[in-house]
Amino acid sequence: MKHQIERIRNIGISAHIDSGKTTLTERILFYAQRIHAIHDVKGKDGVGATMDHMELERERGITITSASTYVEWGDHHLNIIDTPGHVDFTIEVERALRVLDGAVLVLCAVAGVQSQSITVDRQMRRYKVPRIAFVNKCDRTGASPDRVVQSLRDKLGHNAVLLQIPIGLEADFEGVIDLVEMKAIYFRGSNGEQIEEAPIPDEMRELAEERRAELLDAASMFSDELLEAALEDQATPEMIYDAVRKGVLSLDLTPVMIGSAYKNKGVQPLLDAVNRYLPSPEEVPIEAVDLDHDNAAVELKADSSAQTVAYAFKLDEGRYGQLTFVRVYQGTLAKGDTVIRTSNNRKIKIGRLVRIHADKMEDITAAAAGDIVGLFGIDCYSGETFVGDGPRLAMTSMFVPDPVISLSVSPVDSTAQDNMSKALQRFTKEDPTFRVHLDPESGETVISGMGELHLEVYLERMRREYRADVESGAPQVAYREAISRQAEFDYVHKKQTGGSGQYARVVGHLEPLDEGEYEFVDKIKGGNIPTEFIPACDKGFRSALDKGRLIGFPIVGVRVVLVDGAAHAVDSSDMAFQTASRAAFRETYHRAKPQILEPVMRVSVEGPGEFQGAIYRSLMQRRGNIIGSTEDSGFARVDAEVPLAEMFGYSTSLRSDTQGKAEFTMEFSRYAPAPRETTEELLKKYKGQTAEEND
Amino acid sequence: MPDLMNQLRRSPRKLLERDGHPGPGPGQLALVMARAGVGKTAFLVAVGLDALLSGQKVLHLSLDSTVEKVRDWYDDVLMEMLRDDKKVDLYSPIQLRIERRRHIHTYLGNSFSPDRLSESLKLLGEVMDFVPQVIVLDQMELEGVDPVTVEEVKAQAAKIGAELWVACQTHREGPQAEPGHLPPPADRLEEIADLAFRLDSHDAKVRLHVLKDRQQMLDEDLHILLDPQTLLVSVGL
Repeated sequence: MKHQIERIRNIGISAHIDSGKTTLTERILFYAQRIHAIHDVKGKDGVGATMDHMELERERGITITSASTYVEWGDHHLNIIDTPGHVDFTIEVERALRVLDGAVLVLCAVAGVQSQSITVDRQMRRYKVPRIAFVNKCDRTGASPDRVVQSLRDKLGHNAVLLQIPIGLEADFEGVIDLVEMKAIYFRGSNGEQIEEAPIPDEMRELAEERRAELLDAASMFSDELLEAALEDQATPEMIYDAVRKGVLSLDLTPVMIGSAYKNKGVQPLLDAVNRYLPSPEEVPIEAVDLDHDNAAVELKADSSAQTVAYAFKLDEGRYGQLTFVRVYQGTLAKGDTVIRTSNNRKIKIGRLVRIHADKMEDITAAAAGDIVGLFGIDCYSGETFVGDGPRLAMTSMFVPDPVISLSVSPVDSTAQDNMSKALQRFTKEDPTFRVHLDPESGETVISGMGELHLEVYLERMRREYRADVESGAPQVAYREAISRQAEFDYVHKKQTGGSGQYARVVGHLEPLDEGEYEFVDKIKGGNIPTEFIPACDKGFRSALDKGRLIGFPIVGVRVVLVDGAAHAVDSSDMAFQTASRAAFRETYHRAKPQILEPVMRVSVEGPGEFQGAIYRSLMQRRGNIIGSTEDSGFARVDAEVPLAEMFGYSTSLRSDTQGKAEFTMEFSRYAPAPRETTEELLKKYKGQTAEEND
Repeated sequence: MPDLMNQLRRSPRKLLERDGHPGPGPGQLALVMARAGVGKTAFLVAVGLDALLSGQKVLHLSLDSTVEKVRDWYDDVLMEMLRDDKKVDLYSPIQLRIERRRHIHTYLGNSFSPDRLSESLKLLGEVMDFVPQVIVLDQMELEGVDPVTVEEVKAQAAKIGAELWVACQTHREGPQAEPGHLPPPADRLEEIADLAFRLDSHDAKVRLHVLKDRQQMLDEDLHILLDPQTLLVSVGL
């Protein structure tokens, strides 16, 4: 099938865990005839939903890795990325949002907007992703699409408007009323595959008229034509579709669809809405940077005949080697083509090109601008750009947060050692927030990530997928050290032990740097330090930042200003200036009043109103700074900033404090100076450790 | 730092300092009236920020906006203030101090009532040892509210020694103010309000009028021009 770009929809399905997005995706695949039977998350048949393609995900009933799949719906071609709902894996969500043009925000009809939906919505806003909402689980006791729409307005600030209303609710949920075409829709057949259209039931007509008026009010804001027609009661479905679409594309309107994926109701109209309201790739402005012209912004065109620009947003270890998921932003990517990997300028030949349907795939010969496809036989990292002949372009880099937690891992035997190496190599390629390093002192391998759950999942994957039996240490917080005031230095490095000597003098000061990790400023006048030694000074200072002298963690936020110095015609060298700079830093560091910085997390806890006090207490006990709280329909949400060090085991204690009725999400907020007691404790611990090592 | 923060204060609230109190004083109700879009919320945020900079604890109650939105509002006004004073580098430490003294509480979906406020105040006091000296109540639709509700909220504030600021939307259409009285719908709260102000948008600036000062009904232009974005004083203090 030849895909016309205006008929392509690259969409994500994002939501809070347990809102039913995997079930929804499964139904979409079924109705679009990509699969021939329906399985459910934690299904009784033990097969599991098709999109949860990892064993671990099946067992836990959660989606961890986003799998991309494509379907054809009507005359449209949809690439769907199923995204994880745990905030610990937000890099997956962020990656998905980077390559998507639109999204479906799935909300539970009972729970409404939950904490994870708030985080995901914030991310969508960051990437300016137009969205439509799907209120799922309308068959559940306590379901209320109206309340969900209100909470979309209140909690997320969306201009949300219902495009449908339910016929019956909870156990009586039968179908929906389409407020645009003013008709009832029922979903018949054993899997809801037969759509039956009927007149609106008499008893619901008045309500439907009322809600349609609300829809027209909201949609008229985006179309004068509709406004005029609505005043004369002449609004046509096409006018409403056009107006709603304009509102969606400008991010000013969120149309809301309703249904129950589990009960096979409402999914097909949702797919129609995706085709109708979400943008095609050519309607979304995309910028790349020109690496050869100081990262100047270049606007890309979704034109299949232009220079090829493709972006690798996800890697997966498949049966046939590395599977690289790419989005083609411009030009065409065809089998046999040679493209350049812009990170290292190496040429790459496109071997096998596939369309992906969860863990099945089909070979294709070419992918045009706007498409999302998979490549085999390409060695690259996630986040890389491939270009055809022409300027060396790169897609603007994604926001990648630094890891905040780490733990040591050690293999139990040599087989485990080999397997662990393979696994770690793979994981670091797949996930930029997952890092690995070797602790030079303990000789241990240390893995770092975005939270306890993040690392736990990788440990599990190591054991299951790679059969690497590893033991792990206790999680450690990624502290930092930083100076808090200016301090001067004047250091002479002089050594004469036979043969050629070493001489270097550096003069200047250290000062706190508000943003960034390190800055070197050369203010040497009159060549007191010859120009050729300046890079050595920079290197020397930089090397001193690796390990702070307070608790051995990296130093950040330092500006070194070099103002003077001296060199010797014979005895000065790069090595001498590096040594002098490193020593100058170490000698000055304590005078610059160093302090320990700890990662502070932004935490949102949500639960029934009666547990508000318990939630406050649980956060206060963990040195939390409570920012605010929200009460809504008997529920309470508390927003706080809490040091990561205090968050270990929080899910267990919150569960016991609130009878398991509250839940929380957490994401990195910032680094902040640790309070005195924490600092003293950390200093004591470090002193003990170093004394032990010296014994 | 406290002196420096005090020097930054540029809210009209500073004008109301009496008997050593940095605002209208404990148990007092100040009503702020304006038409839609003139900047009632921004004015209340400026009031809250002023109290925070003078070292007081502030409880900001919102009946419509999210916690994040209110927080952003404070952060933006603070940044604007520091930018004007060329002290942007102080943003982080001041913001941190402010956050420790401020609590934002939002009641969505018609969940606000004097009883709920009483519960919230109790929880904040008992669990967080947070007893506000200033309470700001924003986005309350006074038209549909029984004056007794406002009276009860004022009594709650008085009980803990806090001053209360409430915003009230007035309308271009409909009944206008009777001479010597507050404009509807605030006229129903005339007896309860200790202070009443009106914000008027004029020539890209906002002018501040005082309509009631304790027992006295007035209509006095204070000759203070406020920045329409931040509602901080740009001329006149």
